[in-house]
Amino acid sequence: MNVIKRTLLGMLQPVVAVLIGLIAGAVAILLIGDSVVDTYREMWNGAFGSFYFLTNTLTRATPIILTGLGVALAFRAGFFNMGATGQMVLGGLAAAITGLYMPGPGWLVMIMALLVGMVVGGLWSLFAGYMDARFGVNLLISTLLLNYIASLFAGYMVSFPLKDRTGSAAMSQTPMLEADVWLPKLFSGMSLHAGFILAVLAAVAIYIFIHHSVAGYEIRMLGNNPFFAAYGGVKRGRMMVVAMLTSGALAGLAGAGEVLGTQHRYLDGALTSADYGWSGIMATLLASSHPIGTAVAGILLAALQTGAMGVERNTNVPLEVASVIQATLTLFVSARFGYLFLKRRKERKNNGSAV
Amino acid sequence: MTVLLEMQGITKKYGDFTANHDIHFDVRKGEIHALVGENGAGKTTMMRMLYGMEQPTAGRILVNGKEVHFHDPSQAIRHGIGMVHQHFMLFPSFTLAENIVIGGEPKKGAFFDRQSAADKVRELGERYGMPIDPWKKAGDCPLGIQQRTEILKVLYQGADVIILDEPTGVLTPGEVKELLAAIKGLAAQGKSFILITHKLHEVMEAADRITVLRDGVITGQMAANDTDEEQISRLMVGRELVQMSRAAREPGEKVLDIQAIKLAGGKGSKPLLDDVSLSVRRGEIVGIAGISGNGQSELLQVISGLRQPDRGTVELNGADVTGAPVRQIREQGLAHIPEDRYLWGASRDATVLDNGLMGHQQRFRKRGLIDRSSLRKVMNEWVQRFAIKTGSLDTQAQFLSGGNLQKLIAAREFAQQQPFLIAAEPTRGVDVGAMELIHGELLERCRGGDGILLVSSELTEILKLSDRILVMYEGRIAGELTAEQATEEQISLLMAGGKRQS
Ligand SMILES: Nc1ncnc2c1ncn2[C@@H]1O[C@H](COP(=O)(O)OP(=O)(O)OP(=O)(O)O)[C@@H](O)[C@H]1O
Ligand SMILES: [Mg+2]
Repeated sequence: MNVIKRTLLGMLQPVVAVLIGLIAGAVAILLIGDSVVDTYREMWNGAFGSFYFLTNTLTRATPIILTGLGVALAFRAGFFNMGATGQMVLGGLAAAITGLYMPGPGWLVMIMALLVGMVVGGLWSLFAGYMDARFGVNLLISTLLLNYIASLFAGYMVSFPLKDRTGSAAMSQTPMLEADVWLPKLFSGMSLHAGFILAVLAAVAIYIFIHHSVAGYEIRMLGNNPFFAAYGGVKRGRMMVVAMLTSGALAGLAGAGEVLGTQHRYLDGALTSADYGWSGIMATLLASSHPIGTAVAGILLAALQTGAMGVERNTNVPLEVASVIQATLTLFVSARFGYLFLKRRKERKNNGSAV
Repeated sequence: MTVLLEMQGITKKYGDFTANHDIHFDVRKGEIHALVGENGAGKTTMMRMLYGMEQPTAGRILVNGKEVHFHDPSQAIRHGIGMVHQHFMLFPSFTLAENIVIGGEPKKGAFFDRQSAADKVRELGERYGMPIDPWKKAGDCPLGIQQRTEILKVLYQGADVIILDEPTGVLTPGEVKELLAAIKGLAAQGKSFILITHKLHEVMEAADRITVLRDGVITGQMAANDTDEEQISRLMVGRELVQMSRAAREPGEKVLDIQAIKLAGGKGSKPLLDDVSLSVRRGEIVGIAGISGNGQSELLQVISGLRQPDRGTVELNGADVTGAPVRQIREQGLAHIPEDRYLWGASRDATVLDNGLMGHQQRFRKRGLIDRSSLRKVMNEWVQRFAIKTGSLDTQAQFLSGGNLQKLIAAREFAQQQPFLIAAEPTRGVDVGAMELIHGELLERCRGGDGILLVSSELTEILKLSDRILVMYEGRIAGELTAEQATEEQISLLMAGGKRQS
């Protein structure tokens, strides 16, 4: 009974936040004198209106869910991993390189590419954890800065050494992957690929891990009260490795999934301009780091984005209305994040430096 | 005498649970009104309503005969009601003066006038017979001074009725005497107090009137002159208490042996631990007495692996565990009731169940997952045995009353089944019944051959349970006494840094 209640509560929060966002959007639409009902109908249609749009939304949700789950796990342990974008970029790049250059049967290359993407994303995230543990570099800042390094590095790689020189286009991108290493599509003619299944499985797995495993228990206690965890013999260093590695690996998987399932190559800026990493962080914060809630929030955020495109296609309402909704959500989420962050800082200060 | 504050027919419900039922209670000018009752009886809840932190489900609150509705503490403060919480809420890095004037700072132009704040605070302290040094940092002061500061802060805010929720829990006997004297002095000047405490001798010493609460209902209200400790505890508990005592035992081999532990302080300050050596044998309770802040906390942190000593060795159950990780030390034979239940002992946001699991992870692990149904079964036994009042095992720990959380932590550590137990302030904030229970368990353990290191600011507790008593002063062991030799005076003298008389 309690588990069900908690799960429902975890899912309720993002829904309520999105509703508040929609109300704010409605006010904006009224102000510019358009019909709220029509606009939102178009939005709904753009997101869920047909099987095509639905699968489109789910495709977009896939990387958001995966990065969101990673962030959720790190947050639960009390580590503010803001580096999902960079971890995703490097994971995607590594998957593309593996897909291009690894010999062997297609299915094997595909699996290896996913795994390599996870490992690289995980290590990049762990690097920030290492700097925190070893040199006391603030994780929030290091993970943010590592995003730039990762994006610029990947940009360089696809502009020079790995650049696709077959076509005439001057795009910074790798060559196209062979079709047999692509992630299979779930329905023919639709964009939705097997990465979505992985995302759903990951949500369930992370839920079980956090709420039912012993390691997940220790991670939660560490995030709740690090002093209590230390007193009880939870090893902070080991938990940090587990949390940061898994968190980065999920972001890496998100990147690899995009490369193998949607882009079929690594295209500079494709992962960063869509802001999957930030949407993932938003999904997590909306859902208070509950894994299932994060998945739901990921789909809602994707729906807002695809729905907004529908609005733009079919009405005169400017795309900025969607920005109003997003901005409201961001505000909501920032307040929450600021609160969490300050609370932790304050606790650390008050409690001295024994740990 | 005029009635300042009155509760009429107050009821407070949390969901289906009734924390207070039909409470009639009042405070008169210049009186000390003691509020007593078992853990979870609803004392703190009652006070939280008076202080605007909770709203009653039913009933009326009157101040000076007029009905009031407080939505937050600032409204209560404006009506002259102040509260000092069960846990201190001072900012450790601020000076005492800054802590006191916070929210009502004296200004010079647009700026905070530090000098006049200090002057005001010094003058306030002197007027009310509680002198303090306004320039000292709160974190550097002994708990007795911090407690004074809390009370001065409430007085600075202009309170006429001051609620003290278990103010003596962390104080040494000397500090308790001073505190009680101070509030009696204030009462003589016309201030009123509501005093919550589990220590009945304090009630008898200070209170004018006594209200007894049991399971959210008032079971008695009388003048202190017309009653005695026995009657009060009968009203609180609803049964007679059994007295138990220490039996002489033959201790076995050493289970804890620490040698020449040294722990440096900050730059230029004295070492926190200076050449501390002690041992605990199986079947023995060793008590450590001392004013808090004389190295006891650091000593326990070194033993339990939370802090590395600069020099010296710790041997536990036959193995050298100096500087070992906490988990290894626990597996080697340590159970640990920590001195601060909220900082070290629990996670407020987690459920009672999750709080109970700490340290038992291996025992309830089944293929990497937590075996919650076995854990539930075991924890239900703890709940029964220690009469822990909680909505359910899925309630968040922050909703437990202070004493009930303490009982949960004690139960969890007793269940570790380890040969050595650190019991730091094991009965802080628990009622007399639970205290007997925990003392009984400690003695039982000891009879069964476990070694126990007891740290307590309660001298009576130390004297009642310990076979040997060590007194700590400024990071050193200032003296050792056997149970037969020890007297309260002797220990107090050593605690204050005096030399031992032989
Ligand atoms: N917010 C809440 N939600 C649910 N139950 C609560 C809440 N606050 C308190 N309770 C319950 O109300 C009861 C009374 O709690 P209260 O803190 O008033 O006890 P108390 O008399 O102060 O005990 P103690 O001596 O241990 O401090 C407890 O059983 C507690 O679990
Ligand atoms: Mg209380």
